Amino acid sequence: MIRLSGRFRSALIIGGQGIRARKTRTLLSMVSLFLGVLAVVVVQVGAETTKSARLADLELHAGKDGTRQTYLPGNADTIQIGQDTLKGRTDAVAISFTQAIIGEPGVSPVNPGGAPFDQPGGGQYAYPDGVEIFCDARGYCQPMQVAGDAPDVPVPGQAIELSLNALTGDIRQFRPFRSVSGQWLDFSSDPSLSPRIVVNLEAAKGFMRHQVPAEMRVEGTTANPTPRIIGVIDDGNMHPTAYTRADELQNWVPRSSNAGNYGPGLQVMLAPTAGDLEQLLRIRLTASGMPAEQIHFETIQARKEIAKELALIRWIFLGMAGLVLLIGVAGILNVGLATVGERVEEFALRRAVGTSRSLLAGIVLAETLLTGLLTAAAAIGLSALGLTAISALFGDRDQFLQDLAFPWQAGVAGVIAGLAAGLLGGLIPAIRAARIPIATVMRA
Amino acid sequence: MTALLELHGITKTLKGQKAPRTILDGTDLTVDRGESVAILGRSGSGKSTLLSLIGLFDRPDGGQYLLDGRDITRLPERKAAALRSAEFGFVFQRFFLLKHLTAAQNVAMALVNGQGWLPRRKRRARTLEALDRVGIAHLAKHRPARLSGGEQQRVAIARALVREPRLLLADEPTGALDTETGNLVIEVMRSATERGCGLILVTHDWDHANKMQRVLRLSDGALHPATDTRSVASVSGPARHRAAMGMDRTDAERSEVAR
Ligand SMILES: Nc1ncnc2c1ncn2[C@@H]1O[C@H](COP(=O)(O)OP(=O)(O)OP(=O)(O)O)[C@@H](O)[C@H]1O
Ligand SMILES: [Mg+2]
Repeated sequence: MIRLSGRFRSALIIGGQGIRARKTRTLLSMVSLFLGVLAVVVVQVGAETTKSARLADLELHAGKDGTRQTYLPGNADTIQIGQDTLKGRTDAVAISFTQAIIGEPGVSPVNPGGAPFDQPGGGQYAYPDGVEIFCDARGYCQPMQVAGDAPDVPVPGQAIELSLNALTGDIRQFRPFRSVSGQWLDFSSDPSLSPRIVVNLEAAKGFMRHQVPAEMRVEGTTANPTPRIIGVIDDGNMHPTAYTRADELQNWVPRSSNAGNYGPGLQVMLAPTAGDLEQLLRIRLTASGMPAEQIHFETIQARKEIAKELALIRWIFLGMAGLVLLIGVAGILNVGLATVGERVEEFALRRAVGTSRSLLAGIVLAETLLTGLLTAAAAIGLSALGLTAISALFGDRDQFLQDLAFPWQAGVAGVIAGLAAGLLGGLIPAIRAARIPIATVMRA
Repeated sequence: MTALLELHGITKTLKGQKAPRTILDGTDLTVDRGESVAILGRSGSGKSTLLSLIGLFDRPDGGQYLLDGRDITRLPERKAAALRSAEFGFVFQRFFLLKHLTAAQNVAMALVNGQGWLPRRKRRARTLEALDRVGIAHLAKHRPARLSGGEQQRVAIARALVREPRLLLADEPTGALDTETGNLVIEVMRSATERGCGLILVTHDWDHANKMQRVLRLSDGALHPATDTRSVASVSGPARHRAAMGMDRTDAERSEVAR
């Protein structure tokens, strides 16, 4: 231990003296290496930032990694079993889907089918008679022929159609909605008679543009309730959507009426730890007569999918960065070989006074490794600074730019790149230094 | 008591221009503790080669090398480095000071070699003491560029002495100095032997050689007792007296005595 630390300290002193005596050379090595390390760091920053942005997007839409989820048919029994089983559980949520029109009674909404408001034509779709837009739970909408005779289409009026998601619990543990204003649904209080709803950004846009009276028509309601909009969130969905407590909505919509016309009848999301619940649900559903093979849980693996998606691009860019880095290695190697050539006598002399080969090689290597590390520090510092500058300058244009943070993976990649370059560029000079015969000092 | 150093039948062949050349061919040498030996010889006779074998810079092709009676002929390099650090001090014709370091740092270089660790304060004390022994403690902060040749060589001697070696190996240490400075340098080294350090001095200068206890000549790859070919009147020193009184023994005889 003492011997090792003695060697280490000697190496530090000798390496330090070497670097101090050749500041310009060290600087030149760093310059030649800088672009390469910077390229690696920037590629990693880009890849990680894209990845986390995509991941955040995907989490909003599909749910967090590891979440177990299933879609169940929308018959009344199934929905009832699902909602009852999950009732009061904080580690699971069941979502049932329906369409709602909020506004003037007896008119057709400004966005039939719950379309976004900013589509060409201002969202005022004109479909042929008998065609309506149907959207599934993921927000994919398509026009569909309504069976039978074309119904009388009411005149357009001040009303907004949106998809209404009724929740048994807090969905944000699975889909981390960003709060924009107001509050989120409170699941701990008693259900209120006028349903509280939280709308997404697109729906909020509709309410800002169109002065709509607050009456909510939900398919199958016994009487139209007056909803209270208590908050706005960003759920990443471009279609107007509203969220409400399932038990509050049930005061108005008998369960049997939810025929599951609008996508799957019931979506169930479970925390990875809620395995018991999955079992329970399975047992109850099969007991009610549902075939077991219809109940299919899947695990959300967003990270893996994104990684696959980005891997190729990342490797292509890293490959190019690696080439630039290689040029830097050639630079370090060049300087290193020249330096060893110049220090032949010094190294022979150091060996003569008892410095071992390995320590000498270690010192040469340590000098280039230190150079690599310093370069990495400079490159990382510059990219972090650049990122902060971009975030400060353009942050108001996009939420995504505002949240920019230097990913630690890029820092690690930079340090590894610097060390690897130092190792590659220093190895040959180190071996040469160790091979210098001591007798050189006698012949010179 | 065993001698400090014994060489028996050392051979060394170096690659020549065309054919390999045998430089050392059965060289014998015994040096006692604290003994000073001068080695003379024509240029190219292999004096430096011999010193590089003694100093463990290189290994002989044949023969035996004993240090304190211990066979170190085939010592692995790692252990050789430790011995170079602990047992030997080297002085060369050119001074080999590192020009980016001060005199003190150049001396301390022998202490900062990965062989044992001394804290900074002890290093400084030892360094200054070594510089003081060669009479240039006041130049500790000077870089080599600001030192005269004699001063530089004395820094090199201080570097060789700083670890208190048991044998000083000097290869023509005065070769690059004028006569007066050369004499001073030899005197500095000789005074080191008074503290028990052995000295092998390779030189071309009979005056310097005669200040050693024994004078040997290397020729045809072997060491022989040397006799001063110049007029006896101009020679002084212990070697001459002993030679004159027939006190010089051959190495073979000395080995006999040692056993
Ligand atoms: N690395 C080497 N490879 C081959 N031959 C060498 C090598 N080094 C020295 N020689 C040869 O070995 C012989 C002895 O060299 P050495 O340096 O020992 O002589 P020397 O007695 O010290 O001479 P000088 O008094 O000029 O310093 C010389 O002829 C030299 O040419
Ligand atoms: Mg020589």
